Parts: sequence; C-alpha cells; structure tokens
Amino acid sequence: MATRALLAVLSASPPRMIRIKVSTFPSSSSSSSIKFQRHITIARCFSSDTNPSVLQPPDVSRLAETARISLTPSEIEECGAKIRQVIDWFGQLQQVDVSSVEPAIRAEMEGGNLREDAPETFENRESIRASIPSFDEVYLKVPKVLNKE
Amino acid sequence: MSTTLFRTIQPNHFTLLTTALLRTRRTSRHISVRCQTSTTTQQSSSQQQQPRTSAPKNHGSNKLDEILKDYEAVIGIETHVQLSTSTKAFCSCPNSYGSHPNTSICPVCMGLPGALPVLSSKVVDFGVRLGLALNCSLSLKSKFDRKQYFYPDLPKGYQISQFDVPIASGGYVDVDIPLEFGGGHRRFGITRVHMEEDAGKLLHSDAGDYSQVDLNRAGVPLLEIVSEPDIRSGVEAAEYGSEMQRIVRYLGVSNGNMQEGSLRCDVNISIRPIGQAEFGTKVEIKNLNAFSAMSRAIDYEITRQALLYNQGQADQIVTETRLWDEGAQKTVTMRKKEGLADYRYFPEPDLPEVILTQEYVDSIRASLPELPEAKRRRYEAMGLGIQDVLFLANDVSVAEYFDEVIGKGADVKSAANWLMSDIAAYLKNEELSISDVKLTPQELAELIAAIKDETISGKIGKQILFELLAKGGTVQGMIKEKDLVQANN
Repeated sequence: MATRALLAVLSASPPRMIRIKVSTFPSSSSSSSIKFQRHITIARCFSSDTNPSVLQPPDVSRLAETARISLTPSEIEECGAKIRQVIDWFGQLQQVDVSSVEPAIRAEMEGGNLREDAPETFENRESIRASIPSFDEVYLKVPKVLNKE
Repeated sequence: MSTTLFRTIQPNHFTLLTTALLRTRRTSRHISVRCQTSTTTQQSSSQQQQPRTSAPKNHGSNKLDEILKDYEAVIGIETHVQLSTSTKAFCSCPNSYGSHPNTSICPVCMGLPGALPVLSSKVVDFGVRLGLALNCSLSLKSKFDRKQYFYPDLPKGYQISQFDVPIASGGYVDVDIPLEFGGGHRRFGITRVHMEEDAGKLLHSDAGDYSQVDLNRAGVPLLEIVSEPDIRSGVEAAEYGSEMQRIVRYLGVSNGNMQEGSLRCDVNISIRPIGQAEFGTKVEIKNLNAFSAMSRAIDYEITRQALLYNQGQADQIVTETRLWDEGAQKTVTMRKKEGLADYRYFPEPDLPEVILTQEYVDSIRASLPELPEAKRRRYEAMGLGIQDVLFLANDVSVAEYFDEVIGKGADVKSAANWLMSDIAAYLKNEELSISDVKLTPQELAELIAAIKDETISGKIGKQILFELLAKGGTVQGMIKEKDLVQANN
C-alpha cells in the first residue's frame, strides 16, 4: 500500500516540478504521504538550521511544496503546531553544551558492514512491477517531464 | 589560408584528433621508413609547421579570438563516472548496461519501505583508487547523505550521495594540450571526488505526452569528480575530459564510454571582462555526449555570453541549465534555476560512516598502475616527440602493447612508428582494437630487429607485418617459409 502511494506520488509529481499548486495534488495520496512529509520536516531541522539560538517557526506551506503534497489550511495549521513542538525539542537539545565533545560525523555502528561485489537477482521482481501503476510495454509510463523552452 | 585550413579542421577536431594525428604520422612515416636517417628532421619540421597553420589556441572562428581579447571564460566541470562493478552501489542487483528494461530491480533500489542499503566494498575501492590517481587527500572517515528531489527516475525520492565529507578532495590533474590546439602543459585543480548512486533512465518520446522510465540504472554506483574553475577554453575542457576518460580506463574503474553514458560531463561556464576579479553569472551545460561537442558547446556559450555583454545586456545571462543541441549546434535553455535548489541534504541514517585505514589506502596506492601523465613523461624522456607520446599514451591497451614491444628490446622510435602508422591504419580499416591483433609484441620486436640488422628490407618487413597482424605466426617462420632473407652484400 505504502509502495503504491509512493509510486503514485512518483508518477504524479513531474508536472509540478516547475510550479506546484498545493491544492492540485490528488487528495487520494495525500493522507498516506503525510508521514513521509513529517519525516522530511524533521530532517530539515537537523540539517539546515545553523543558528542554534534562533529556531524559525516552520513554513508548512513551503515544506508541503518541497515534499510535493497538498495540505488543506486546517491541515497546515494542525501540522504547524506539531512540527513546532518537534523543533522546540531540538531547540532544547541544542542548549546542551557540547563544546568539549569531538564532533562525530555519524553515530557509532558496528564495523565490517560492506558487501562483496557479487550480483544476485531479486526473486520477487514481479510483485514490484505489479505495483507500478502504468506501463508502456517494458517501460514505466510517466507524464512528460522535459521542460524545454 | 590558415583560416581556410582551420575551418576544415574545426567541426571535427576532437573526434578526429586521433585520425588527424594518424594522418600526419603516416605522411612522415612513409618518409622515415624509406630513408631512416631523415626521420628526425622530418618530424621536427612537421611539428614546427603544425602549430603555425592552426595557431590560435582557440580553434575556430576569428570571432571567438576577438572575444577572447576582452573576455576570459571561467569553466568548471562535473564528471560522472559510472563504475564497472558487478552490482549496484547499495544492493546486489546486477549492474549491467543494456539489460531488458526494469528487470534489474529490488526493494532496496526501488526504495520500498523497510529495505536497507548496504555499500559494496568495490565502490570504496574504486573511490580510493580514483582519489589517489587525481592526487587528492582521502578522508579516512566519510559519510553518505540524502539529496532530496522529486523526479520520476528517482524511486526513493532522494539520491544517496556524499555532501559535506566526500571520500577524496583537493587534488589536481596534469594534461598536455595537443599541438594542433596550441600545445603546452596545463594543471587543473580537482575540488573533490565523491561516491553516489545513479538515477534511472528517462526516455522522452517525441510523440505522446508521456515519458518512459527504465529503473535498471537506479542505484548504479557513480563517482563524481568536481574540478576547480581552472579551465579557460573549450579545448582545455575537452582535454580535461579526455584525461578523465584515460584515467578511469587506466585504473579499470569504468569503461569511460560517453555514448553509453558511462562518462558524463556537465560544464559550468561564465565569462568576465579580462582583469575583473569576480566571476560572472554561471550557466550549466548538459547533454554533452562527446568531447568535441563539449568544446563546441563552450565556444558557442562564450560567444553568446560575450554578445550579451557587448550589447549591454549582461543581466540577461541568468543562472540556468542549458542543453547542447547537436543538430542546431547551439545551447538552448532547459530550465531556469529559481535560486539555488533546496536539496535538503541530511546524513543518510541507513548507512554507517565509511572508514578507511591507512594500510588499506597504502595498499591501493601501491597497486595503482602507471597513470597517463607518468606514461607521457616517461615516453617523452625516451626521446619521443609529443605527438607520438600523446598517441601512445591515449589508449591504455596501445600503451601496454608499446611497453611490451620496447620491453623486448625493440628500438623505441621504430616501435612507435610502426604502431602509429601501419598498425594503427590496419586497426582502423579492420575496425579492430590492438588487443584483437594476432601479432604479438614479441614478434613486432623481432620484426623491428630483423629490419634493423638488415636481415630483411623495410619493404619486406611491411609485407610480413600485415600477414602477422592478420594470421599470427613468427617473423623467423615467415622469413624461412618465404625465403625472404635479404642478400647480405
């Protein structure tokens, strides 16, 4: 189901690459995409707020636009408050004094996690293909995306 | 006169470079085969002539030369190299060009929920290899990040790439500009090399209002090489690109094939009035599938931007992506960039950092082959002219063959001449590569020796050569069989 929604997002998104009308997005896929959207929002707060002391309130409309989902004004309001809570929580985290700690680029994980370069064909490819909404013979069919002037 | 000459060369120069070299070589070769003593004079005079006839370093129109009196182009290149691994970067799906569309897919590269990426050790190996070859410093710890954007060729909605801590950075590459484009030696800075995955392939049908997607390429490993903005002309850009191709082929990390898209160059270019310190507005050019196209696209773009400057319309040069239209021989707007794209990079939570040990790096450094620049300098030190050097070092299999021949004690100059003239011509006619010929390096060395000690004449040598190329065998066998020994008096 989630796959289907994702693929729906995928195939529906191209015309919106240029100008996204938040309201034009098919409502069927928006509900299942909200989770995805929140995920990105949180991520954004991690990566791009460089000034720890001032955390900007979320611009939910813009976030929805970058995630290619449509939200109603009431959803924007609802999401805004929740995202704000998360941001505030990061605000609290950022008050912790870490000046004496050497920065880590990643959390510690167990080593030896590389893979040998040995090819293996995934058995159940048919079920992946079956979830693709539109085919043109062997190719996935998507709205035209070449935006040439 | 020189202009006319020039025009005839211009449309083809890089694709035909090898052939052009070949032709020049062949002419002088005929002379040197027949009267060996005059070889040196012949070569040096032909070398002196050539840059004069095609002198201006920016080939092509006088218009461009005029422009370059007032403006300087600032060019940086991003090169994507598709790696010749057996699997994709983060899953075990086969990485094979030309497979039936949408068959090399799995939950990982399709971005299905719950699927986790695992990096192939070979991608790291190739990244380190290329980083070292480009004289970069390696990050013993680097990481992956998600670059997010929506496009139908990107199933996950993000590309796994390296953002702020690439595997290699701060290197350089040395190139020799071919004589017919002004000659000289140039060094270009390499900003960084990072590992990432490719997107799927989008095909735009002319008819119909839809595009087609093949996801076999989604997740295939790439190394992206970013140059410093050190490049100043189309010729330099094409030579930089060619050197990247040579290096990845020498290293065996990629087939470097531009037609298949295994090597893709995006050019960033701006111009500025000479003497101005700050850069102009830069434009990106994509869709360059040959070095000759790259060179011509850059010249076109320099001319276009200079014209706007001269007309007082510099404000019409905007940050945008332009496509090279091969048919119309011009660049056209593909998309205007409204501010910088917001990719919302963040660390890839599903992958650990990439840790290299110094021992690992050292072992790879020790296993690196001799690289094109080192080969060129070595050939030059042997006394070969720059055109010979560039020809021989251009193709790694030709260079290896040549090295084997001289390793058997053959005269360096004669070996170079045979390879560049008759053998190159044979390969071209038969559409073969050097690895296909039946003539072994050992026998070519024998042949050269037999002519040198006058066992056979140069003319007979040539006959034998073509037989050996096609059928194999030995020089001694051929001489005996045909009773070809030259009367020794």
